Amino acid sequence: MKKNRVVLVLVALLLISLPVFAGGSQEEAVAETENSAFKVAFVYIGIPGDLGWTFEHDRGRLAAVKALGDKIETAYVENVPEGPDATRVIRQFAQKGFNMIFTTSFGYMDPTLEVAAEYPDVVFEHCSGYKTSDNTANYFGRIYQSRYLSGMVAGSATKSNVIGYVGAFPIPEVVRGINAFTIGVLKTNPKAVVKVVWTNTWYDPVKEREAAVALLDSGADVIAQHQDTTEPQKAAQERGLYSIGYHSDMAGFVGDSVLVSAMWEFGPFYTERIEAAMNGSWKSQSYWGGLADGIVKLSDFSPLVSEDVKKLVLAEKKKIESGSWDVFNGPVMNQSGKTVIAAGSVPADGDLLGMSYFVKGVVGTVNQ
Amino acid sequence: MTAVTKGAGNTAPELILEMRGITKSFPGVTANDKVDLELFRGEVLALLGENGAGKSSLMNVLIGLYRPDAGQIFLNGKKVHIHSPKDSMELGIGMVHQNFKLVDTMTVVENVILGEKDLKLIPNMKKAAERIRSISDHYNLKVNPDKYIGQLSVGEQQRVEILKLIYRGAEILILDEPTAVLTPQESDELCNIISQMTSEGKSAIFITHKMEEVIKFSDWVRVLKKGKLVAVKKTSDTDPSDLAKMMVGREVLFNIEKMPFTPGENVLKIIKLNASDPNGIKVLDNISVTVRKHEILGIAGVAGNGQVELTEAVTGLRTSQSGEVLINGENLTNRSPIEMIRSGVSHIPSDRVAMGIVGDMSVASNLAMKGYRNKPIVSRGILRTSLILAFARRMISAFNISTPGPQTHVKFLSGGNIQKTILAREIDACGDLLVAAYPSRGLDVGATEAVRKEIVRQRDEGRAVLLVSEDLEELISISDRIAVMYGGRIIGIVDSEGCDIEKIGLMMAGIENHQQERGSRT
Amino acid sequence: MRIHFKKRKSYSAAAAVLTPVISFIISLLLTGIMLAAFDINPFKTYTNMFQGAFGTWRDFTETLVKAIPLILTSLGVATAFKLKFWNIGAEGQLVLGGIAASGVALFWSSWLPPFLLLPVSILVGAAAGGLWAGVPAILKVKLNVDETLTTLMLNYVAILAYDGIYCGPWRDPNGYGFPGTAQFPAAAWLPRLSGRAHMGLIFALIIAALLWFAFYRTKWGFELQMIGQNKKAARVLGVNIGRNVILALLVSGAISGIAGACEVTGIARRLQQGLSLGYGYTAIIIAWMSRLNPAVCVPVSILMAGLLVGGDSVQIMMGVPSAMGKVMQGMILFPMLAGSIFTEYRLVVSRRNTDISEAEVAK
Repeated sequence: MKKNRVVLVLVALLLISLPVFAGGSQEEAVAETENSAFKVAFVYIGIPGDLGWTFEHDRGRLAAVKALGDKIETAYVENVPEGPDATRVIRQFAQKGFNMIFTTSFGYMDPTLEVAAEYPDVVFEHCSGYKTSDNTANYFGRIYQSRYLSGMVAGSATKSNVIGYVGAFPIPEVVRGINAFTIGVLKTNPKAVVKVVWTNTWYDPVKEREAAVALLDSGADVIAQHQDTTEPQKAAQERGLYSIGYHSDMAGFVGDSVLVSAMWEFGPFYTERIEAAMNGSWKSQSYWGGLADGIVKLSDFSPLVSEDVKKLVLAEKKKIESGSWDVFNGPVMNQSGKTVIAAGSVPADGDLLGMSYFVKGVVGTVNQ
Repeated sequence: MTAVTKGAGNTAPELILEMRGITKSFPGVTANDKVDLELFRGEVLALLGENGAGKSSLMNVLIGLYRPDAGQIFLNGKKVHIHSPKDSMELGIGMVHQNFKLVDTMTVVENVILGEKDLKLIPNMKKAAERIRSISDHYNLKVNPDKYIGQLSVGEQQRVEILKLIYRGAEILILDEPTAVLTPQESDELCNIISQMTSEGKSAIFITHKMEEVIKFSDWVRVLKKGKLVAVKKTSDTDPSDLAKMMVGREVLFNIEKMPFTPGENVLKIIKLNASDPNGIKVLDNISVTVRKHEILGIAGVAGNGQVELTEAVTGLRTSQSGEVLINGENLTNRSPIEMIRSGVSHIPSDRVAMGIVGDMSVASNLAMKGYRNKPIVSRGILRTSLILAFARRMISAFNISTPGPQTHVKFLSGGNIQKTILAREIDACGDLLVAAYPSRGLDVGATEAVRKEIVRQRDEGRAVLLVSEDLEELISISDRIAVMYGGRIIGIVDSEGCDIEKIGLMMAGIENHQQERGSRT
Repeated sequence: MRIHFKKRKSYSAAAAVLTPVISFIISLLLTGIMLAAFDINPFKTYTNMFQGAFGTWRDFTETLVKAIPLILTSLGVATAFKLKFWNIGAEGQLVLGGIAASGVALFWSSWLPPFLLLPVSILVGAAAGGLWAGVPAILKVKLNVDETLTTLMLNYVAILAYDGIYCGPWRDPNGYGFPGTAQFPAAAWLPRLSGRAHMGLIFALIIAALLWFAFYRTKWGFELQMIGQNKKAARVLGVNIGRNVILALLVSGAISGIAGACEVTGIARRLQQGLSLGYGYTAIIIAWMSRLNPAVCVPVSILMAGLLVGGDSVQIMMGVPSAMGKVMQGMILFPMLAGSIFTEYRLVVSRRNTDISEAEVAK
């Protein structure tokens, strides 16, 4: 028995010493270095490797790092759940001396404002919400414009005239995207319908795939989505069918079956806002940029998209960029055919932000 | 009831298995004490004994579930070491346990190949099913390999177990009380299956405590009693009453003093009580019996003939289908245990560790498990620990419970002290009726004497006692009358004073005693 | 050589104390090796973890924020486990408690006097949690339906209902259609003690004390213990098993329900995304590590919260991926859980294949 104990102690000592040797060449973590660089933090709902929403924000962060170089120093935390944890994580960044904090999910809105009130010297940028304060701005993009264009491609590609749409939550952001997409679909194919399935999650590869499969089983031959992963696109590709990407240029991760993607481009915006904060010209605002501003984009077309369709889409894109027309300019009819936006009228941004009805051509309900 | 035709002609039987001097003890109990066993090819050996006599533990040693403290095992003359059921299976020894080791939600084939030594990643189910079918046909097992176990009757499941062993190449089959769960017809079929196997040179060990089965199934019989081998007989040289006597045995009597028999008024009156188990098998058959103040009514019988069920019916643990249980004149048929406790019934249950104590609680807590409901130990739902401890100290000294202290977990005590703990609790809370099932089973001499004395004291003080025991000597020495149970019936009641032990043995074997003792009054 | 476990003949107090300590040290060592393998300095990691969780008063209050639901749910779980009733539905009971409390806070403020709004919210939350645990209890008692399945399944029902409610009918009419209810009226806000640490802490401590007393000093606790340790004996001794199971589960669910009610009234002050964070599952680990002792559940929950919070702050301070934090948490917990076997068993090393009788003599 005694002997065993001696052996145990020796093993323990060995184990203790191992990390010491191994840890000798440890690099200092970014956030720990002490210099005068402007410190910028990002709070992510998913992981940069999701190839979707968080991937795009991280691409934006890296673009800002590239543009501003040594002048800034960035850090991020991934997989932060919406809820009590978010407040803590945001506060920890503020407490650690970060000068600017981007919070990139709707559920971070209240936590961001809560911490912002406590740290007036730190500036905050919250994505996709509707509240602001003196040191909290919010930002978002009119991705619905890209959605509309991608819908045109989908409408021209469907043969069954059923397009499946995997939606995360029945909230205005998603509803607006579905509506814009559907208006685009009907532009090229008045006979098509857009079938919506809710997953009630932003990020769940398994559920997203299941929803896509259910849509394919029910006759859809093009899949679009408002989710954080590429699973719905992959499900379509596996059946030899088409899909429309979202968030990033998903053709790069899935293949040419992704006909086109409605995508984000946060880099220039992030660079601009960080620079403003650095030189003191930063002001709280509610930013909602569109195709013309470059925060939302349409990816390159897949080689499977015909020249005619491309030409048509690009013409519409130019129209939107020029400001002469926007997706929800009247007339817009709801599912039951009632006109909700009168012909010739342009809806206010507030109406779009709170949009909670489906337009004509959508199959599904907003209230689950 | 014809005996299986045994042996393979005139050639001298070949000894295939020998166990020598097997000793196995558990804390407080010696399960096997230098037990020898011999098994010949093509023969059936019956291992006879009461519950706890050491039959199962001996077999568990043989199949490698237990490691013996001493002793050796020889197979075909060669010494073998068996460390696990896997080892024994490789040597061709397999056991059908009382509780089948089958997975309900899997098919017969799946169950049979499950746990096979060189099971392939994707087993050839078709081939396995074919082999199962051919074995089944050969031995007339009537097993459909594609059925789910859950769809099979208990008898069919047992045959699947047997088939599983044959499939894996067992030469020696151990059957642990195989008939306990069978109907008489299934029992006969089993008998045929075994004789078919033995005629092909396989051998079987048959664990039982029923004499008629020994006669029906076996070639040889070994009788175990309290862990010791007490008799080895050729089955043809013995008979049921002989076996019964060997089983209950004769041993040194304690001289327990008791007051003369002066029964008082009725405490327990059972009238035409009938009860069945969930499978519809009758366990209590028209029982009528009375126990009076100052009286110990002993219940004799071979285990499994309804004695435990009778105590359960009296203590509220078993519902009866018809008949009445009266205590002090009050009809308490099919009342809950708590109602029986409140009406003054105390109970020393048959399985003291499983039913009588909570092993992971202290001796003091276990002693308080009746009294915790009453003031002053509990007041407004709050327990007074100091009173519980004081009560425990009193009981520990009054009943001579040997424990490191009242706070010791009761599972660390010896069997005798566990039983004294139960006794102390039950007697302290006892009203007019004490129901005791096998109170001295497995106890050493000293503890046995203490327990018996205490039971007699209760009777002398005026309580009625219903005492179930497998020990005939115990019944004769302390009870006033003895009722013998067989097949759920009371087959006869005799006065214990000057009773004929031979006659009781016969009754235990189911041979009815038509002329009732004159002294018995029911 | 043959290594096997032997059941201890009596409980060793030394083993009970030393086992978790030694397990914890082993945990740190193993995790350290893993971190080193990924070129992350383990000492700095541990320091950062500790500072993130307990470094400043403010950090500690954040750890408490996480500890409150853990204490409550682990107490709820322990109450059911005391009976060997495997209630793994604390998560659903918490969520349902949160929904019910939100309902009261949102819709009863019109007629309830303000000073009653908060207590009624919490009580209704408790009742809802109790009901959610009571259903599997009744199914178990009456129909012998396996409780692990029912309690687990009811988690999904509760979580889906919760998703549906805050995204659907209870959605804030002035919230531009965004998911989440309106903020509760101030009368339904659970007061905060320091930072975001709220009154739920007081409830948790009171309930822990009450439960401890109930378990070890009352007739009810005595019966629970009897049923949990030996159901058969409890029945023979006249204990009403069915009634006790149902009662204990109502209590178990109610405590988790209070956890949910405190989360919505104390932290978010509205019903929105982020109520079901897996506290109910972590609680199972805590209850086990605490050996179902309510007094032990409190410090263990705080340590567990520290581990979770510290894991996050390592991410912030050292830039390690979140998955690394999760792996670390798992690696630290695993030996601690595995270690508990040493309080019941001891390790025996013996030579193999010695003759049985010889081995016996050698002893």
